[in-house]
Amino acid sequence: MSASLLFKGIDEPGLNTLKVYESRGGYASMHRALRMPAEAVLDELLASGIRGRGGAGFAMGKKVSFLPKGSIDKYLVCNADESEPGTFKDRELMQKSPHMLIEGIVIAAHAGQLNHSFIYIRGEYSEQATILEAAVAEAYAAGYLGDNILGSGLTLPLVVHRGAGAYICGEETGLLDSLEGKRGNPRLKPPFPAIQGLYQGPTLINNVETLCTVPHIIAMGGDEYAKLGVETSTGTKLVSVSGHVQRPGNYEIELGTPSREIIYGLAGGPPEGREVKLWFPGGSSSPVLTAAELDLPYDFNTLAKAGSMLGSGAIIVVDDSTPVLDVALKLAKFYRHESCGKCTPCREGTNWTVKMLERIDDGSATPMDLDIMASVQDQIIGNCLCVLGDAMAMPIGSMIKRFRGEFEAHMEAAQLASSAAGSSSALAAQGAL
Amino acid sequence: MPRPERADITFSIDGREVRAPENIMLADGAKYGDIEIPVFCYEPKLGNPVGACRMCLVEIEGIPKLQTACSTPIKDGMVVHTQTARVKEAQEAVVEFLLINHPLDCPVCDKGGECPLQDISFGWGGGRSRFIEPKRHFQKPLELSPLIAIDRERCILCYRCVRFSQEISEDYQLVLLDRGAHTFVGTFDGHPYVGPFSGNIIELCPVGALTSIAYRFRARPWDIEGAGSVCTLCPAQCNTSLTVRDDRLMRVLARQHDGVDDGWLCDKGRFAYQAVHSDDRVTRPMVRDAVDGELRDATWDEALGAATELLEAAGDRVAGLAGSGATNEEGLLLGRLLRDGLGSPDLDSRPRGAVDPDELRRLAAPDLQASVADLEFAHGVLVLDCEPIDEAPILDLRIRKGVRRNGVRLAVATSRPSALDPIAQASARFAPGHVVPFLEALSAALSESTDGEDFDRLAQAAGTPPEDLRALAGALRGEEIVVVYGERVWDGAGAAWLLELAGRLAVAAVDGAGLLGIPDGTNGRGLREVGVLPNAGPGLAQAPAGRDSPGIAEGLANGELSVVYLLSCDPIRTHPDQQAWEAGLAAADGVIAHTMLLTEGIRAHASVVFPAEAAAEKEGTLTHPDGRIQRLRPAIGRPDDVRAEWDVLCEVSRRLGHDLGLASARACSSEVFASVAFYAGLTLEELGGRGVRWPTRDAAAALPQAPQASRPPPPSGPRSNALGSPGGRLLLGSFRSIWAAPEVEVSPALKFLTREQRVEISPADASTLGLRQDEDVLVFSDGDRRVRCRVEIRNAVPVGSAFLEAGIHAGSAESLSGALVRIHRAMSPNGAGGADAMPARTGA
Repeated sequence: MSASLLFKGIDEPGLNTLKVYESRGGYASMHRALRMPAEAVLDELLASGIRGRGGAGFAMGKKVSFLPKGSIDKYLVCNADESEPGTFKDRELMQKSPHMLIEGIVIAAHAGQLNHSFIYIRGEYSEQATILEAAVAEAYAAGYLGDNILGSGLTLPLVVHRGAGAYICGEETGLLDSLEGKRGNPRLKPPFPAIQGLYQGPTLINNVETLCTVPHIIAMGGDEYAKLGVETSTGTKLVSVSGHVQRPGNYEIELGTPSREIIYGLAGGPPEGREVKLWFPGGSSSPVLTAAELDLPYDFNTLAKAGSMLGSGAIIVVDDSTPVLDVALKLAKFYRHESCGKCTPCREGTNWTVKMLERIDDGSATPMDLDIMASVQDQIIGNCLCVLGDAMAMPIGSMIKRFRGEFEAHMEAAQLASSAAGSSSALAAQGAL
Repeated sequence: MPRPERADITFSIDGREVRAPENIMLADGAKYGDIEIPVFCYEPKLGNPVGACRMCLVEIEGIPKLQTACSTPIKDGMVVHTQTARVKEAQEAVVEFLLINHPLDCPVCDKGGECPLQDISFGWGGGRSRFIEPKRHFQKPLELSPLIAIDRERCILCYRCVRFSQEISEDYQLVLLDRGAHTFVGTFDGHPYVGPFSGNIIELCPVGALTSIAYRFRARPWDIEGAGSVCTLCPAQCNTSLTVRDDRLMRVLARQHDGVDDGWLCDKGRFAYQAVHSDDRVTRPMVRDAVDGELRDATWDEALGAATELLEAAGDRVAGLAGSGATNEEGLLLGRLLRDGLGSPDLDSRPRGAVDPDELRRLAAPDLQASVADLEFAHGVLVLDCEPIDEAPILDLRIRKGVRRNGVRLAVATSRPSALDPIAQASARFAPGHVVPFLEALSAALSESTDGEDFDRLAQAAGTPPEDLRALAGALRGEEIVVVYGERVWDGAGAAWLLELAGRLAVAAVDGAGLLGIPDGTNGRGLREVGVLPNAGPGLAQAPAGRDSPGIAEGLANGELSVVYLLSCDPIRTHPDQQAWEAGLAAADGVIAHTMLLTEGIRAHASVVFPAEAAAEKEGTLTHPDGRIQRLRPAIGRPDDVRAEWDVLCEVSRRLGHDLGLASARACSSEVFASVAFYAGLTLEELGGRGVRWPTRDAAAALPQAPQASRPPPPSGPRSNALGSPGGRLLLGSFRSIWAAPEVEVSPALKFLTREQRVEISPADASTLGLRQDEDVLVFSDGDRRVRCRVEIRNAVPVGSAFLEAGIHAGSAESLSGALVRIHRAMSPNGAGGADAMPARTGA
């Protein structure tokens, strides 16, 4: 069932400008929130039960409440480094309604009593960054950013910072290092960013979608918002559906909607005559599910219980026309390329996995290699500095588990092909004699 | 910054109840229960853990995921398991991962046998690899610098070397390049990694990726023995572990002592051991041939006979100088020989003029002494007229550590721009040679209103902008202040003004505050305390006044003195006013020298040369600038005909009819402890391998009391004209680089660091004088003394100042005299007025 909160009127021309945004009631929540005490705003966020939309699904209100009190420099960082394969919802939000994000940032900063803010946007989103910068300039001119916003006493500069295109900079601590001008490598946690983040100060890091939801929570009230969705997954969620579907794109749904309704109902399902073979429910780093799990309600807890995760809310559908090995290899190569190299299991494990998958493809692997590969994934999961290693190991591990037969068949076929090629070239060599 | 106090807590590890200090990292805490948790990237010396290698994963009850022991502080009641199947599996996995790209070329690797990767693979690894793909390849080995070879295939990317460069030496040269499985260590700009501390990364490397080029393929761990020692190449006296193979020194490693060096070494200490086995070393006695005037080899009997003859003939017209490397024992014996044996009071261990002995006694007061560790925890540190990175390099690292980790406020007050300026809260420059007016102005800034004209005048007299002085005083607020100063501050009335400053900062009353003076030479403090002074005897006791160093030079030149006894000292190389010493040594009837290397002064002037021991061969004691008495023990035997200095000094004394009755090095040490009142009761056993700070012992009360000091006299002499450069003349300051040492010159590994003289001037003066960077110039001082060098334009040099390097082989700053210099192009563009032409006076 589709719902409309963030995407309500999203396609209205000129919504990216302050004038149109305000004419549609934009910034009303900010006006309202700034008149409320910070604690009251925080209470609304807590009541809403909203969980982070970036991937980890941590309750946003709780994150804000972890920030230490006191008048020290505290930072808000919006994670707009949307680099999880299959995820493109934040792009649409920033491109079409940048002021919604700015409004959310100001309200969240008020709730957490934060006095510096940054949007870290991935370098590839050049057009969106330009739009954001224009919107930020408008907001400054209108007095919605900068010193003493609307006489509330809240002072909040906002800087749009463009990343240089590394997946790891979407990991919150890698993002902070990158924002500080260092090599984007994840940091050891604890300390968590809420205690020691940007420039060693307390830092609230939230995803674009999460912050964009904040004005709506204030507008409708936290309790009212919590009525949307299901108990542990409140509200609406933007879902990016891609892959083998007839109508790929972003859809806003109420959490708890059956997955089949999203894939078949909204996105039109796979092309005529093909069946869903597997699907990633929450971006390329979520363990894959099969057609048998299409009826699962799409919410945080159900998907976790099914052995996967909601992640960034990016559904990637793979139909029966594609060999699972191709999916695995593409995926593993991506994570090998994006591994920062700081911790051992990720650096070596992603590299090793790609090499093993390549051997399956060229026919030089044996079924034992599948066992080794599965065990390597187990050696990665949970043992890395950040979750990048897990992001490869979990889906690859799930593919080996669920599609072992197909891997073995692929292996055998490749072996036959290579020995045939080998014997024919041997014959050719004999012929030459 | 108070030192962290940690209460003990109880936690359980592998079923054992263990008590350990709260909040230390589990990797360290486990050791309290005799349990070893394997680590690669963890090294507490490098600061906060990074958790990169994942070798130290352990299971902690109540936490679902395995945790890295390197980054988990221990808490009361924590229950830890390091031996469960889950932990074992993770450890084997990490070892397997680490080895998939490691070449396993242990049989040809220098690290083999002392390699943590080998040990951990053996102890915690699964024993076999399932990896059959080709490994990562790099070109190897490459020269990371002339001292260090890098083998990137062996590297396990533990980050230690990079963290050292980024967070310890703060040279920011080493970085990780590329990413993922292609990551490799290199320098930021692709240039060699050269810095005063680069060698430490060799020791930090847990595999054979970084190896010492000097040590490469020289020995295997089973060929060598280690010997604890102390480095004698500068006053920092870092603790070392010498690697010996077949009675030859092969390598120097750090021997961690938190009270001295924090486990680091500079490259001079690490590589200049090569001087010990240098072909240039003097290994036989020599006497100057009466016929051709050249030094020739002699027997000990001849040499001792010649020396005795010279001394007997000179009687009390003998002077003695002890050089920086001499031990306390040698210093004491030199004093005995001169004062008791020959009746001469003329001896000194300091290159500049004498300091009032009462000031020395006040400065030695136990409650004024700061320890090295105090630098790390003080509220504020003032670096006064010294450059730690050159004069006691390891203190530079300690100061950086305090600033970086404990928020120590650093104030730097020097003439020459300091390497510490970038991390200092306040930096002030004063005109070269104007430390006394500067101290007067700083005292005023710390105590009085700094708004008035009076204050501005005081600041101006020092050549310091008044606002810089105010900022400096601001940085020195707080209770625990440590003042690190170069002993040259004592010149003139400096010692009195330094005591005045100590009073203003109230350092005597506070634990963790105090003064830390860096002497000119390694054992400057010890030699002073055993009485190698013109005006005080052993233990700074009363003694008949004699000539100080400049007085000795003069006395030799004018014939009042006839013979000079040089104990490991070449004044031509180390003392100011080279010309006076040239004249003095040339006029002397005899120059008796103990030396390891024939430096220029010895080569030209010595009548008798006794081959001296290297530090690695010596037995004796040294006194660290913070009062720590440390022990030198022989690691190798003496080569050829070398005899111990103490033995030779005793023999000379005996031949002069004054038997000291000392038959061993140990007896000499006992004699030192018996003669210096505040060393009383010490034994070599008490010193052990870590040394003892005498100011913390009860015997410290025996330090002779000086009468109450009166307010120091206002600075005498001409006030500074530093703010201008009259007649194009600049005030000359000199500095001694870390590399300015004869040992560096003869160590092949360090050859590349010997630098040519450069005169550092400000851009403004360069433009006034029409000089360009690297231009060939002559620097003239009084008379026709000159130094030929190149121009180095430094933005940070104040207008009106010029700096030259001292202590170097050729064109040293000591060859000039007088405060002001003129700089002229060596060759004028049209070819007129060549290098030897006298300068025309440049317009004012």
